Amino acid sequence: MKELNELNLPEDLKYSDDHEWARVDGDIVTIGIDDYAQDQLGEVVFVEVPEVGDTFSKGDQFGTVESVKAVSEIYTPVSGEVVEANEALADAPELINNSPYKDGWIVKIKADDLSELDNLKDKASYFQMLKG
Amino acid sequence: METTLKTTPLNSWHRANGANMANFGGFDMPLWYETGVKLEHLAVVESAGIFDTSHMACVMVTGKDAFNLLQLCHTRDLDSLQNGRCVYGTILNEKGHVIDDAIVYRFDETNYMVCVNTGMGGTVAGHFQNHKSSLIAVHERPVEVTVTDLSEKVSKMDIQGKNSAKILKKVLENPEDLFEKMPYFSFKGDLSADSRARLKNGTPLLLSRSGYTGEFGFEIFISPDAIVQLWQDILEAGKEHNLVACGLGARDSLRAGSVLPLSHQDVGNWKFVNTPWNFALPYNADKSGFTKTFIGCEALLCSENLKNRENIKHEENTKYTFAFVGQDLRKIGAGSDSQVIDGNGKAIGTVLTCATDMAIGWHNNKIYSIASPDLPEGFKAKGISCGFVLVDRNLDIGTKLVLQEKNRKINVTIVDDVRPHRTAREKISNFI
Repeated sequence: MKELNELNLPEDLKYSDDHEWARVDGDIVTIGIDDYAQDQLGEVVFVEVPEVGDTFSKGDQFGTVESVKAVSEIYTPVSGEVVEANEALADAPELINNSPYKDGWIVKIKADDLSELDNLKDKASYFQMLKG
Repeated sequence: METTLKTTPLNSWHRANGANMANFGGFDMPLWYETGVKLEHLAVVESAGIFDTSHMACVMVTGKDAFNLLQLCHTRDLDSLQNGRCVYGTILNEKGHVIDDAIVYRFDETNYMVCVNTGMGGTVAGHFQNHKSSLIAVHERPVEVTVTDLSEKVSKMDIQGKNSAKILKKVLENPEDLFEKMPYFSFKGDLSADSRARLKNGTPLLLSRSGYTGEFGFEIFISPDAIVQLWQDILEAGKEHNLVACGLGARDSLRAGSVLPLSHQDVGNWKFVNTPWNFALPYNADKSGFTKTFIGCEALLCSENLKNRENIKHEENTKYTFAFVGQDLRKIGAGSDSQVIDGNGKAIGTVLTCATDMAIGWHNNKIYSIASPDLPEGFKAKGISCGFVLVDRNLDIGTKLVLQEKNRKINVTIVDDVRPHRTAREKISNFI
């Protein structure tokens, strides 16, 4: 496992207590799992992503990330409709490990209400939470 | 908390080589290295891998009554065990529940070694000690047997995979002598100064043709002072065969694909009957009884009889253990939160183990391994989940079930085997 100070936690993202990250671009929110989550899970072998057009409410499970060690459910931090899912993960689930914030993104959701993201943490407070 | 964990002599090596460490039975052990579990698993099926197994324990049983004590305390009939051979079985309590599973090594009629699981050396040695009195009662005379727990006094590593012998050959003093006539579940050497098996530098070792991966290979017992050097020498010798160090993650998925139980998870605090490992019980030819008397045998015979007598209320419901495979690599969490659901939607048990064998895949309703000689064109081993369920009824091979944990479900089929074309039992001459 990585030491906490080895984690890559970009400044421009917001983080959930369940270790998802969110990047906001207009009303589109890109969601993935962060470096801490991928490190804890170990080698990812399967990612279940939703269909384009599926709608979710904040806190809904929208997919699973499965590693050789465990299965982890992923929850959306924002309500809205799926506008794109990362199809590359079907053939290359390891993108979650190798590039959690770029090539390993999981889903893009058109948000109903961006203010739902207000209670996500910035890097500093998320890091503080990990430290316990 | 980590400071209280026990370590093996290879702990510094693991930490210096990027291992992801975790507590396993009170030991700080590698789950996987930078190679990753998937490639570690595939390396053992395709070529070879090494495992630190020094967290396991050994108990020596010596003296005139060593045979009698083990015959009473182990489920295999040791009457047919020859010198230089070893055998897998379980150690039961009076209820027929599994204290631990164990391989018994016979050096000669008065010298045996019993290899048990992590942290079990003291427990098993204590159990043997306690049953000296049972032996005295049976034989109505004093007994001569000494039980010695060697926990942490012997180190162990496994080399598994079809290139294991080619790699070991480079570090052994007398490989030709050792590999000649060395069938599955036989061993050579010991830890004494005059051991028949030695490294090139003269270090004695016990070399056993066994393992926990389903693949051809060896378990190596050696002095704790010598294991780090041996580990490094074997890694160096194995470079041309892409030998990799493997963690407990790959060990678990390899053994699940080989239908091998994990003690205290797949066998444990329930009666050891109706399992894929019935060969570990000393059934007589027509399976009407056992060929010997041993601790736990009455409880097992009792449940065997009860299953055929529907009108008798079971004092403890007989349970059945089966292996299963999934439809793809998806798995679910095992344990008390899991449920096994039959075709009528009825919950009939729990999941003991669920892991993914990444070296196999489905093709036209048949499982192939990357090592299968008859691979169909375009076959890709995408991985298949597999493991064991504990259920309250007998099931036919081929039965479809649903495994559920919280809101996650996977469809599985009861099978009698999982990964095809394993090499563990093949002749050693195929690999040297």
